[in-house]
Amino acid sequence: MAQIVLFHYFPRNSILHKMDGRVKLICMILFSVAISLVQSIPSFIILTASLILITLLAARLPLITLLKDMKYFSFLILIILLVNSFVIPGRPIPGFPLPGVTVEGVMTGLIASWRLVLIIMVCAVMTGTTSLITLKNVVEWYLRPIPLVPETRIATMINLTFVFIPVIFDTVSEMLSAQKARCVEGRRNPLKRIMFIAFPLLVQTFRRTEELILAMEARCYSDDRTRAVFATTAKDWLILAFTVLFLAFILFYSF
Amino acid sequence: MSKPNMPIILETQNLTHVFPDGTVAIKDINLQIHAGEFVIVAGANGSGKTVLLRHLNGLIRPTKGKVLLEGEPISKNIIAARKQIGLIFQDSDSQIVGQTVAEDVAFGPENLRLPPEEVNRRVKTYLEVVGLSKLAQQSPHVLSGGEKRKLAVAGVLAMQPKIIMFDEPFTGLDYPGVVQVLRQLVSLHQSGHTIILVTHELEKVLAHADRLIIIYRGKIVEDGTPEEIIGRSEQYGVRMPLGENERVDAMTWLK
Ligand SMILES: Nc1ncnc2c1ncn2[C@@H]1O[C@H](COP(=O)(O)OP(=O)(O)OP(=O)(O)O)[C@@H](O)[C@H]1O
Ligand SMILES: [Mg+2]
Repeated sequence: MAQIVLFHYFPRNSILHKMDGRVKLICMILFSVAISLVQSIPSFIILTASLILITLLAARLPLITLLKDMKYFSFLILIILLVNSFVIPGRPIPGFPLPGVTVEGVMTGLIASWRLVLIIMVCAVMTGTTSLITLKNVVEWYLRPIPLVPETRIATMINLTFVFIPVIFDTVSEMLSAQKARCVEGRRNPLKRIMFIAFPLLVQTFRRTEELILAMEARCYSDDRTRAVFATTAKDWLILAFTVLFLAFILFYSF
Repeated sequence: MSKPNMPIILETQNLTHVFPDGTVAIKDINLQIHAGEFVIVAGANGSGKTVLLRHLNGLIRPTKGKVLLEGEPISKNIIAARKQIGLIFQDSDSQIVGQTVAEDVAFGPENLRLPPEEVNRRVKTYLEVVGLSKLAQQSPHVLSGGEKRKLAVAGVLAMQPKIIMFDEPFTGLDYPGVVQVLRQLVSLHQSGHTIILVTHELEKVLAHADRLIIIYRGKIVEDGTPEEIIGRSEQYGVRMPLGENERVDAMTWLK
């Protein structure tokens, strides 16, 4: 688990790191929309090239390391390729041993996979340049005008989830070691072994949660908290304007 | 050594707590704590120390009796009381709510709706006070036991309480860890805070206390200066530190 860096935050000092998170999120959504709409191969190549440049120069992220982690999506990509190759009707590939595979199908499959990889890259750029705290604050900010949505509580929930994940993993690994020390491997029934972990984990987690609630209360937790301040600079607007123009241009020539 | 000429800051009247299962955790606790006092509460496991502390800032409501802060019942304005009375929990892991050290310290001040600049100022100040400034952007999860406890102290200090309560702050700490926490305690006391410290490791800290209270099965059985009481502590399950003839002044791990 700990080896995946694809959606990690990389503390750097780049243009994208310094951007207002709210504007960055919009840019990212625009990019994803453009990637899903784009049709022609040249537009695809331009989009890919610009994304690589953004990752390396504007975000200063380790592109190669990120691309290596794409292997976790390889199964998904394979399925997309296979399904498309067989399902889309068209000309059969001359000389290809398997019947049913079409030229159009393979092409559509390749493009769909390409889209997926690009969108994953966009997400990786977003999470790589935005700390979880900022991400949480951005989500909270966008939820604020929506009535009946308790945005502060949702933000606190997101936050606590991320705080709890490593704690739970640690608890599990500690319990596993403790049970190994008492020769749990001697038990054949895997279901029993899962139960030996699951029940104590549940009890532990509830106990911790209860303590955490008290600790939050002791520090005066309320929904009415200091709000995060965002600062949008001229640069942010410039980047947004440029993104819109650039993507509009690509889409215009794509059709 | 006690400070009878100072005003009473915290008082309990007939404080009693019976859990739903019938356990009488504390019974008829009458306590008067003066401003600026350094009080140690000692007692065997299960004697009711944690339950008592949690009543003092209103985390648990008493079955009978009340807690007065500067003459006013804390139930009148529980948030104001919690702001004044900081509590550092026995298990520092369960009171971490931030994804970074700095964010955790900001949690309390944000709950008080302080303006963002003030929140930042306090985070900076109190991380410096406990010596964690360098780790501000770290995940609290990776801190050592001593550092976690310091973080908990900073989180409480950032709310600028008058009274600070510590529940077993030495548990699980190595020698340097104990010394660090001890230094913190002494300097907080010197800067005018009222300190209430729960521990049974008297030899580590007793020399710095004005007053020693011993709880036995939910009742206060001894209350006075450390010199008066120390000789009688063992019958209540609190190990008497060092030899019989040892002076109280020597009971500290601070050189
Ligand atoms: N939620 C609860 N329900 C029932 N009984 C409880 C509950 N919490 C505590 N008790 C009981 O109240 C008594 C006092 O508990 P408390 O946690 O205050 O002890 P303590 O003095 O802090 O002990 P330790 O030194 O182990 O921390 C114990 O007998 C305990 O079993
Ligand atoms: Mg306790």
